Amino acid sequence: MASVFSGAPPQSGPGYSFKQTPTEAPSGTRQHGFYPYTDNGGSTLGISGADFTILAGDTRHTSGYNINTRYAPKLFKIGGEGPDNKGASIVLSVVGFAADGEALKERLDTIVKMYKYQHGKPMSVAACAQRLSHILYGKRFFPYYVHAILGGLDEEGRGALYSYDPVGSYEREQCRAAGAAASLIMPFLDNQVNFKNQYVPDSGSGHELQEKPRTPLDQNHVLELVRDAFTSAVERHIEVGDGLQVMIIKKEGIMEAFHPLKQD
Amino acid sequence: MGSPFSINGGACVAMVGKDCVAIACDLRLGMQALTVSNNFPKIFNYGDVYLGLTGLATDVATVSDLFRYKVNMYRLREERNISPQTMANLVSSSLYERRFGPYFVSPVIAGINQTTGKPFICGFDSIGCIDFAKDFIVSGTASDQLFGTCEGLWEPDLGPEDLFETVSQALLNAVDRDALSGWGAHVYIIEKDKVTKRLLKGRQD
Amino acid sequence: MNHLPQAWGRPRDDVYGAYDQSHFQMGGPNQHTQSPIVTGTSVVAAKFKDGIVIAADNLASYGSLARFTDVKRLRKFNDQVVVGFGGDVSDMQYLDRLLNSLDIRENYGSDGTPLNAKNLHTYLSKVMYKRRSDFNPLWNHLLIAGLDGEDKPFLASADLLGTTFSAPTLATGFGAHLAQPILRRSIPDEAAVPNVSREEAVLLVKEAMKVLFYRDARSMDKYSIAVVTKDGVELKQDEKLESQSWAFAEGIRGYGTQVN
Repeated sequence: MASVFSGAPPQSGPGYSFKQTPTEAPSGTRQHGFYPYTDNGGSTLGISGADFTILAGDTRHTSGYNINTRYAPKLFKIGGEGPDNKGASIVLSVVGFAADGEALKERLDTIVKMYKYQHGKPMSVAACAQRLSHILYGKRFFPYYVHAILGGLDEEGRGALYSYDPVGSYEREQCRAAGAAASLIMPFLDNQVNFKNQYVPDSGSGHELQEKPRTPLDQNHVLELVRDAFTSAVERHIEVGDGLQVMIIKKEGIMEAFHPLKQD
Repeated sequence: MGSPFSINGGACVAMVGKDCVAIACDLRLGMQALTVSNNFPKIFNYGDVYLGLTGLATDVATVSDLFRYKVNMYRLREERNISPQTMANLVSSSLYERRFGPYFVSPVIAGINQTTGKPFICGFDSIGCIDFAKDFIVSGTASDQLFGTCEGLWEPDLGPEDLFETVSQALLNAVDRDALSGWGAHVYIIEKDKVTKRLLKGRQD
Repeated sequence: MNHLPQAWGRPRDDVYGAYDQSHFQMGGPNQHTQSPIVTGTSVVAAKFKDGIVIAADNLASYGSLARFTDVKRLRKFNDQVVVGFGGDVSDMQYLDRLLNSLDIRENYGSDGTPLNAKNLHTYLSKVMYKRRSDFNPLWNHLLIAGLDGEDKPFLASADLLGTTFSAPTLATGFGAHLAQPILRRSIPDEAAVPNVSREEAVLLVKEAMKVLFYRDARSMDKYSIAVVTKDGVELKQDEKLESQSWAFAEGIRGYGTQVN
């Protein structure tokens, strides 16, 4: 006679639909997880000289075997005035997961602009470099999946170049390649910029051998090396190509240039 | 454990010049990160043909011996040296015989064909697919780095001395950026009737 | 008589039996979207001389089931922006509500300059990136089409990871493989855009939709198409693919009529 309406209030608490709730999540294997990263390919490269720093990056943006666009810049001016960073003297290049790169750029740019607003002078590259390290380390347990290179001029006016890993380890260097074709470009740069494995002819044998002295390179020569490095990388890496964006930082300001690369 | 191709480490490169070819390899033998030997050449000579083998060291030894046997048998039957082109097809078919249980090696061939006098290089994957290249062939754990240095340094019609400098710089700078290769190098410059072998010291770390 | 008002009108357990709530997941750990459920397929778009064309079909699939056949996946935001949605339909409807509230807010204390396509793309990509960073993504791939601040054609995309990019032609999902090569053949780069007329662009996008209908199993022949120019948005939501030719199917085993 359970189906007969009794009219009496329920005894052991209300037993109505949608009231009881399970307290445990359903067990079983999850079918599909969400992976918050992707690799958008491409490569970047930076070389510092006596009174300049050159940064370069290709403009291809990929997802797997798809080319999303042939023009997505990886080089960003940091600081300066307004949304197009007028009068900036620092450049950030990011390669890896492009959405993280964009977020990182926006954070650093805001910080550098706030610094000038609060202190009345532009931030030095050394300070900016350390700040970038701290930003990256701040997300140590959910990292920005990018290899960053920061370029500018130090307080003595010499070319300054800093390179980073995704969690903020950083180092000042003469030259650095990052991204998909870093392994192709880096040994070429060792040889042509730092003259690695090159010796003075007839300077002896064994330990008497004199290493070829490292001389500061001329700007046009460096530019030629950068373009050579990228045309080589384009031949052998499918994620590199379409266009080459170059920024030259000098005391007069930042010059930006674009060179076409092969689209295949 | 990683891929069988990268347990022992090693690198090899071949290049074409004007009426000459070059082939070079590093000397390291390792067990993962531990270096076991710094005198493990990966280039083997079979008459007019030079064969570079990188990959699993046990297979490098086995395959090099297997081809010594096969080339000797060829020489006895044909009463002549094997040509680089014939050797390429022999390597290809021998590797494909093991299609479903391959030798973990990436071979490279360099030589000058004694009948035509033309330089010849080629490379293979571990199951015998031939890569006929007009410029250079790379293989081993430093292959990415070698692609970069070769693509950047190589140019057509290099003479024997310039080719030696180019192949040496390409190899040394490439292996210096690979933790599994290096510890010196062997370089062969092959001309029509002269072969020069040079030993390079390189970085010892 | 039960005096608890929250129980009035509810089916009683002693009459109907307890409600089976095994499929309910209230309490316990919060579940985030791990995969899309009801999905829309490709969105395609192309720039032309003085505007932009964007199209998407009207199908919402439930796995391989063609579940809803009249779902409009192009949303006009104002007179200069249209957003195209690929991916999860419920997330699309959430974004639709979000854009509605944004529009209302903008129209209250506004200085008279409406949000343009560039503004809206920045907004939506930040929404998408925030949600992916919370491990609670909106499972969509969006195309934002319209005019930028200088009344020039603007086309850009934002996806569930917060990835953004811009190009003279764009296509999401299957369209990235099938439609994009066709679109790029006519409009290879930004320099080609000034030479493309509105008619050519519309024809091109319709051709791309046809190819997608031929080969994308999750597509249909009813679609929406929008053209954005300085004169405003022209949105048609009940278009039908025309001049289909299935002649090619005859030569393909399993596609045409022959069995063996």
